[in-house]
Amino acid sequence: MPLRRPCPSKRTVVGGGILALFVLGALLAPWLAPYDPWRFGARPLESPGGGHWLGTNDIGQDIASELIWGSRTSLAIGFGAAALAVTIGAIIGILAGFRRGIVDEVLMGLTDLVLVIPTFFLAILIMVYIEPRLWVSVVLLGGMLWPGTARVVRSQVLSARESGFVEAARALGAGDLAIMVRHIFPQVIPMVVAKFVLTVAAAMLMDMSLGFLGLFDPTTKSWGMMMHYAFARGGFVNGLWWWFIPPGAAVALVIFALLLVAQGIEGKADPRLERLWRR
Amino acid sequence: MEKRRALINALISKLLRYSLVLFIILSLNFFLPRLLPGDPVMNLLGLEASYAPPEVIESLEADLGLDRPLPAQYWHYLGDVFTGDWGYSFEQRRPVFEAVMVHLRWTVILALPAILLGALVAAVLGAVAGWRRRSPLDVGLSGAFLAFYSIPPFLLAMFALWVFGFKLGWFPLGKVHSGNTAGLAYLADVIWHMALPLAVLTVSKASYDFLVVRNAVVATIGENFILTARGKGLSELAVLFRHALPNALAPLVTVTAIQLGVIFAGTALIEIVFSWPGMGTLIYGAIGARDYPLIQYAFFIIAASMLLANFVADIVYAWLDPRIR
Repeated sequence: MPLRRPCPSKRTVVGGGILALFVLGALLAPWLAPYDPWRFGARPLESPGGGHWLGTNDIGQDIASELIWGSRTSLAIGFGAAALAVTIGAIIGILAGFRRGIVDEVLMGLTDLVLVIPTFFLAILIMVYIEPRLWVSVVLLGGMLWPGTARVVRSQVLSARESGFVEAARALGAGDLAIMVRHIFPQVIPMVVAKFVLTVAAAMLMDMSLGFLGLFDPTTKSWGMMMHYAFARGGFVNGLWWWFIPPGAAVALVIFALLLVAQGIEGKADPRLERLWRR
Repeated sequence: MEKRRALINALISKLLRYSLVLFIILSLNFFLPRLLPGDPVMNLLGLEASYAPPEVIESLEADLGLDRPLPAQYWHYLGDVFTGDWGYSFEQRRPVFEAVMVHLRWTVILALPAILLGALVAAVLGAVAGWRRRSPLDVGLSGAFLAFYSIPPFLLAMFALWVFGFKLGWFPLGKVHSGNTAGLAYLADVIWHMALPLAVLTVSKASYDFLVVRNAVVATIGENFILTARGKGLSELAVLFRHALPNALAPLVTVTAIQLGVIFAGTALIEIVFSWPGMGTLIYGAIGARDYPLIQYAFFIIAASMLLANFVADIVYAWLDPRIR
């Protein structure tokens, strides 16, 4: 079924613009970053200016270069984890809503279980035991952040399966799998996209918070790693704002942009919400 | 009567589900250190234990009973959990149970007022903003709270401490008290230390609640019961606070329960910034020292309180629902 393509709301455009800048910065890191973020050639704890426009950290690494290279890791974890979470959520939601009965009960029971587990602290517990790597964060966060999507998708599928075209497809002899993939899935795409965007924000916030606690992949620069060292190695208590503000401000700006985009899409996906948010 | 019975059944099934989650978490705590790579003794005692004299480690190993079969260990472990025999924390240099309970108290002292205050602020401001949808007040408040919601709580805390603590010197730079005070002076001292972290936590809590209440109030605007209330000749304020807002409170309760995980996580990070001796600070120290038992039981106690809060929210929600009451 072809999707209507309404013009995107102002929120989506503004949020999408900010996001595009960050993604572009991450992709162009090798050309944008003035220095190798690991090189400690400069004088440590230099304030901004004089070749280092965000100064240097405690071991003389250029903070601006760290910030640009770090965006790659932080964005990759956010988008990767969200992609995994939304895939799991969509599959569970569609299966539960379409099959109903015992399948629905088992899957939704599982969803409700995961929903009340304190995910942030479970992530801490697991990450102190295993060596944190980028893919570990993706799998761990993706494996925990899916229940919201599963619930929304299920409720949409419940109403979609009652519509005439599903019955028509069935009458034409289409199998369950074909109906789910070709007729039900397109119905839930807008909601899944909105949930994906929100999950990216949730995953990035959680990754940042874990990083702040010292649970980050030590082999790759990330905003969480920068934040941790800025706090743990005296950047904060000495008021070196150019060390602890940039990674925090960057993640806040990305999350803000993601929320704007999500609100725009949700408005389109659910006409009731559109009334609330469109201006 | 019929509805009341259905409600009680629903609450019982929730209670069963929460118990199951608690059981899963307890089992995770049991199996993770035993099955994950690394020396299970160190996984169970924490890395700092390796600096302890060998005879101490030997006696602790004997205590753990790792040579016994897993089911027997598991049974023994469950007994230990419920009798408060949680082992010894090398990082805190005291029993885990004691360390967790002391820190839990300070977290509750900080988080509970913040949750209530945040919900109250959000209910009032969200109601006013939703009622005057698209007014400059609504646009301003919605924008501000959306921005606050985007900022990681620990960053908000660092920023507040930097400006109001370091730069302006209005508030202390951390800890719960300055020492050498007693009685009322001690209480005033604690409140002074608490002001800034409480403010940050309240704002970060209120930011999401605000969006929920605002949208719920907006959704009531066209409803019949609002038109009826207006028709009765009630003032605008009376319609809003007696009819529109109560309808928006049920989602606030649900969201508060779901957000508890977030508020605990947010509180933990804010505590670290302000050196507030709560669970967050405890966990931060434990991560640095890889003090596994401390992290495990902190996780357990946080999960248990979250589940309890969820259950209380279920009861409050049922009580708020006019169809059941």
